[in-house]
Amino acid sequence: MSFREKIHWVALFGLIVAFGWYFMAYPWHIANTQQGVWAAVGMLIPVTIIFLIPMIAGTVYFAIRTPKEANLKEDEREKTIHLRGTHLAYYPLVLGVWANIFFLINGIGFGYSVNILMATLVVSEVIRVGSQLYFYRKGA
Amino acid sequence: MAQIPFSNEIKTLRFLTGEMTQGDLGDKVGVTRQTIAAIEQGKYSPSLEVAFRIAHVFGKPLEDVFRWQNDIT
Repeated sequence: MSFREKIHWVALFGLIVAFGWYFMAYPWHIANTQQGVWAAVGMLIPVTIIFLIPMIAGTVYFAIRTPKEANLKEDEREKTIHLRGTHLAYYPLVLGVWANIFFLINGIGFGYSVNILMATLVVSEVIRVGSQLYFYRKGA
Repeated sequence: MAQIPFSNEIKTLRFLTGEMTQGDLGDKVGVTRQTIAAIEQGKYSPSLEVAFRIAHVFGKPLEDVFRWQNDIT
């Protein structure tokens, strides 16, 4: 398994744990109030920390274990994998943004809107990282 | 994924070139060991530049390293 593939696994783990916690712990009963918006903003701080800790620890750990691989430039196969994953993630991102526009026009509150955007971002990221891992496993 | 329409002799050529490892070949070509493994197994179709670089490492013409499969049009 290459250095970048390992980092992708760590990123997927971090995403699921950090945003899994966010959506489980979010106070949904006040989502459509001003406090709900601030709760979302406030919870982004621990989410960022939960996501960054395994990313930094994983990167440092794997870089120490395989320093040669960590310093290698991304090659053409890895670039292709990254482009294909990003391409796939574009669709849920667009769908989520359009859904959000639709809901906003129809009078949804900002609290829900923020969470729909957050969910859109998370789903897109999971699809991006997940599909890139799939392509890494498959060969390209 | 569609099967790539050519086979390669990289594994044999590595063996004949002092049992060169995939990592050594990758270093010489400028790609990762995993990319060489994927090319060898027919899972990844390299760019023309990488194909030429691989052939150059072995001192062979391209068609001695990569062969178009006749049963595929």
